[in-house]
Amino acid sequence: MRVGLLPSENGGTYRFVMLLLATLGVLVAALPVVVVVIMSFSASDMPSFPPEALSFRWYEEVIAMLTSSDASSAQSVPSSVLTSIVVASAVMVISVAACVPLAYAMARSGRSMRAGMELLFTLPLVFPLVILGIAFLLIVEGLNLDLGIWRLIIPHVALVLPFVLRNCLSAMSGVSVEIEEAAISLGASPLRAIVDVVIPLMKPGILAGLIFALIISFNEFTVTFFMYTIDVSTLPIWMYSRTVSSLNPSVLALSVFIVAADVLLIVLIDKIIAGKANLF
Amino acid sequence: MTQSDTHLHVDSISKDFGAVRALSDIELKVERGSFVCLLGPSGCGKTTLLRIIAGFETATNGNLMLDDVDITRLQPHKRGFGMVFQSLALFPHMSVAENIAYGLKLRGAGAKERKDRVEELLNVIELPAIADRQVSALSGGQRQRVAIARALAVQPKLFLLDEPLSALDAKLRDNMQVELRQLQRKFGVTTILVTHDQTEAMVLADRLVVMKDGVIRQEGSPTDVYRNPKDTFVADFLGSANLVKGTVSSGGKLRVLGKESVLKSKAGVGTLEDLAIRAEDIQLCAPDADQNTPVGKVDFVRDLGSDLEWIVAVEGEKLRIRTSAKQGEIAQLGQQIGLKIDPEKIVQF
Repeated sequence: MRVGLLPSENGGTYRFVMLLLATLGVLVAALPVVVVVIMSFSASDMPSFPPEALSFRWYEEVIAMLTSSDASSAQSVPSSVLTSIVVASAVMVISVAACVPLAYAMARSGRSMRAGMELLFTLPLVFPLVILGIAFLLIVEGLNLDLGIWRLIIPHVALVLPFVLRNCLSAMSGVSVEIEEAAISLGASPLRAIVDVVIPLMKPGILAGLIFALIISFNEFTVTFFMYTIDVSTLPIWMYSRTVSSLNPSVLALSVFIVAADVLLIVLIDKIIAGKANLF
Repeated sequence: MTQSDTHLHVDSISKDFGAVRALSDIELKVERGSFVCLLGPSGCGKTTLLRIIAGFETATNGNLMLDDVDITRLQPHKRGFGMVFQSLALFPHMSVAENIAYGLKLRGAGAKERKDRVEELLNVIELPAIADRQVSALSGGQRQRVAIARALAVQPKLFLLDEPLSALDAKLRDNMQVELRQLQRKFGVTTILVTHDQTEAMVLADRLVVMKDGVIRQEGSPTDVYRNPKDTFVADFLGSANLVKGTVSSGGKLRVLGKESVLKSKAGVGTLEDLAIRAEDIQLCAPDADQNTPVGKVDFVRDLGSDLEWIVAVEGEKLRIRTSAKQGEIAQLGQQIGLKIDPEKIVQF
């Protein structure tokens, strides 16, 4: 692709700047992950870089942690993983169930209405997460609410809503009123037209929203840190507490699993909305 | 067909969008099996009228009678009409066959019946082999035909089309106009088409309804409306006639383009009267052929292949004249030329 910003014979300076920026970006974004992956194969008890010897011992330990159901430890890995999965699944279902009708209504309403609603649902993005965590904690504790696992699900829904809504909205923008009217003119009730035509056409946006909800909820730390209890705690919290008490390379091995799962999901998003930009 | 076999009666329908009056007191009777074209410039209310008939807009006043049954408040999905939209609005996530069968599926038709009907319709639109194709893999003309087939599949009581051919290129549009007309005859379905293209309306319509500013200006057969336009707007919009002023002289005779004519007027002496003369109703002749022949100067000539189009300046008016290519030898650019006009072809308003 030629961009005519700085025209030159072989893309000279322009190409150089682009390569430099790309390299910097990759280094900043990927280097920590690469270091963690390498260190997770270390054979020693203390994480060090570069590792003096390589082994799979920490991976074996992670497998052992995941498979043993140690009831004595309240914060066992399997229970945190389970909580993380339950929370993420609930967040996915709730946020999409809320955003599909919301996106439909916003796309079909007036321009000013739509802009206002978008702003409203983007607010959780600009709040500092720490403040958001404190706020949720104050509400729950102040009202003395016994929410169980919902004390994590509700804040997570608030956090993923902007992402899910954006994806659903951009999917809705491709669904013209005429296409809905076409279904109605052929005898579909307005609700039937939405089920038969609008939702199938929104599918890429809905799927992308689902995956966003999963990744954000599964990795969420800051707000969760305020909200977790001994009974309801997620994997990132477990990893943090493990790291604080004693930095053990098994945490690193565990994070490699999570990174692998995340990368898989991101590739999936990319496949689903291939050719359709506007992720954010 | 009986004398008045009215299928749809648009009974003094009005529509306001806020303070804007989009339609005012529209009265229209559509005969069973006829092809009606709503013709007018953009913003004239023709699409609004079609959407009211389809049920996607609600009239502010007036009633819609289908076979003497009031359907004004009937929901659009219960009307049983077939509609072709400007964007065609094919379902991109369905195959061609699924698109065509969608309305049948909603009516509870079985798989066998749907398959047979899709096959039948694909044969009618002469695209028998595309049933399993995705809509995105079709050409513009194919999409057009699939959209028409989808609307006709449900055997609609009314067939409504909203500028369906406007996205096609000129040649394809020409072919589709003929095909559309043939399909309509074959199915015998009462059809209402909205267009701003006067040629399209002339080709397709049994009955032409010319609209402007939310009002029906003239209604009739295409030939009648073309030959006898009721006012200058219709004359100009339909085939862009030359609009000139005639002066009433003594004895009630009308002077046209500076020369005495045989036309009469009841208006007082000196009154200016609006006249319309079609471009093809003016013949060229030598400037000195007759003393009552208007004379003008050739301003511009262009060759349209089969015809020549002239612009001739007469008495401060610029007339558009269309002649056969043979008349090209009569005059050159800048020369004086005589205009022979059959007085019977001049429309007086």
